[in-house]
Amino acid sequence: MRTLAKRLKAFDTRTRTSGAVDDVALFGTIDTLRSHLSMLMGQGGFQALLARALVLASAEIPWLNAVRVGADGDLEGLAVAQTTSDANLSEGEVLLLAQLLSLLVAFIGIALTLRVINQIWPQLAFSAADFDTTASHEEAN
Amino acid sequence: MAKAAQPTAQMRRPPKVTINKLPTGVPGLDDILGGGIPEFSFNLIGGSPGCGKTTLVHQIAFANGTVDRPVLYFTVLGEPSIKMLRYQQQFSFYDESKVGDALRFINLSEAALQNDLNLVLKEIVTQVNAANPCVVVIDSFRSLARRATGEAGEMEVQAFIHHVSQFLVSAEVTTFLVGEYVHDEIRDNPLFTMVDSILWLSQVTERNSVVRKLQVFKLRGQASVPGLHTIRISDEGLQAFSRTIGLESAKVRPERRSRLSTGIPDLDKMLGGGILEGDSALVAGPSGTGKSVLATQFIGEGLRRGEPGVMAIFEERPDGYIQRADSFGLKLKAAQAAGTLEILYLRPLDLSVDETMLAILDAIKRVGAKRVVIDSLVGFEMALAPSFRADFRESLYRMIGALTGAGITILSTVEVEDNFTSLQFSHYAVSFLTDDIIRLRYVEIDGQLRKTIVVIKMRGGNHSKDIREYVIGDDGVVVIEPRRTDYSQLSTGLPDRTGPRRAQDDESPPEPKAGE
Repeated sequence: MRTLAKRLKAFDTRTRTSGAVDDVALFGTIDTLRSHLSMLMGQGGFQALLARALVLASAEIPWLNAVRVGADGDLEGLAVAQTTSDANLSEGEVLLLAQLLSLLVAFIGIALTLRVINQIWPQLAFSAADFDTTASHEEAN
Repeated sequence: MAKAAQPTAQMRRPPKVTINKLPTGVPGLDDILGGGIPEFSFNLIGGSPGCGKTTLVHQIAFANGTVDRPVLYFTVLGEPSIKMLRYQQQFSFYDESKVGDALRFINLSEAALQNDLNLVLKEIVTQVNAANPCVVVIDSFRSLARRATGEAGEMEVQAFIHHVSQFLVSAEVTTFLVGEYVHDEIRDNPLFTMVDSILWLSQVTERNSVVRKLQVFKLRGQASVPGLHTIRISDEGLQAFSRTIGLESAKVRPERRSRLSTGIPDLDKMLGGGILEGDSALVAGPSGTGKSVLATQFIGEGLRRGEPGVMAIFEERPDGYIQRADSFGLKLKAAQAAGTLEILYLRPLDLSVDETMLAILDAIKRVGAKRVVIDSLVGFEMALAPSFRADFRESLYRMIGALTGAGITILSTVEVEDNFTSLQFSHYAVSFLTDDIIRLRYVEIDGQLRKTIVVIKMRGGNHSKDIREYVIGDDGVVVIEPRRTDYSQLSTGLPDRTGPRRAQDDESPPEPKAGE
């Protein structure tokens, strides 16, 4: 799932035009997912899913413990984490994204997760083969 | 004066508006609804939890959504969307390629949580204007309305329903509101007055059996089939079984009907040439008298004459049937392979008559059956869910009426207990729905328990009044004796000798059992 997350992040970063260095820009790929998934499952639903992904990712990357998921599903505290530690933000985003995608796969399956991703990033032609066969949130740990 | 301007008495009336109907995607439901859901209607799907409301509306959504005219599925504070998608994709109707394009899920929970129905309405209007959907679903609508408390709240909800309805109809949208309601609300809740149709789903529990039912409570603009219809949820989703299934295709019996041989020549003679085509015949008798053998011979004779058949069996397994038939020289397996015979083995314990009837009707269509055997009515009743057993006679009436109306000749068997004091036809008092009754029974004669056969009733003509003795041998049921005049009260099972005892050898070896 990390490979997939890396590809998504790389593509999303390239296409992002804004140069602002705020929390949203720092974890832009997740924010892109947020706006789409919030429509599907509501802000509350997305917030709950991302919070769970953050718990799982924090076990591997401790500095993510300083990050919180806001009520509307945005990530808070990224800028602080960046200045107060030697955090590798890119690695953190990839892992959090991988956990989020793994959770989606666990709940709604590869087919529907793939469909969601292809609808958000139609330029990227992903297929089921891009998902690891052992796709689960544990795998990202 | 120009000719065209002259008023004519036979002026044609302009055509009425045509109301198109949307398919529900639920097998059997469109027929119940009179063709489908009226286009641009405002509908309510209600009932208690677990009845299948969400599954039903998903089937409707997948059946109608296209990329150009998608279905917008608004979820509101009910089942979380992610769980809904997780479970619904287990059904075969779920087409993942439609999700996101032809079927779009939009969560309105945040707007609803702000306790501002205007905000919800605004969001619906925005989304509908942007997507131009053909169908809108609001699930659960009850969650939206529940927040209304007091008179002011009720007015707000009514105004909201009015505005949503007005907007969606004007937007050429067919709407489905889904909600958990209880039956008593139908009278008092103004929503039920405002909607164009109410599809009510329920679960009936009796003893250990649960049966789901659907009722079209209300449907503006077209006639639907009244009453409670059985629904079943399987891997394919919901399937509905109309309580009038088969009746709509009932034909009038032809005036001249041929007679169908039973495969037992002497019984044919007793029946005046055979069973009349399109009749419902009942073979009643106690256990071991050869009811199933006789029924198998009836089917076997039909196959021999090129008349396909269906056997609905509820007690014995098909293998046993086929094996026994083989011993009589009736090659049922070959007929099955040739597609001229279907043996339906139906014995789950929560069947409805409508499901059974559909299974039989489908088999009849598949093989083009002329003859149908139901073996037995007792087993049939046992296979039904307890809630259907109370209406067994009524259900049987509908089923037999539908089948014989279609020109099918039915032979049913029923087990009755010989009590040696009276001649009982059946426990069910079903003789009113059978045209012909053949009674088998045990009779004690000369120190043996022998079997007799008598034709009790033939609605379509004369029949023999003789009580004849028969045996079950290698050829099946064979009537062996002319009527006996040396006994009276044979019908009681314990006759009195009135004539001289005939000399006869002891039976050796014993009468072989069928199939041995």
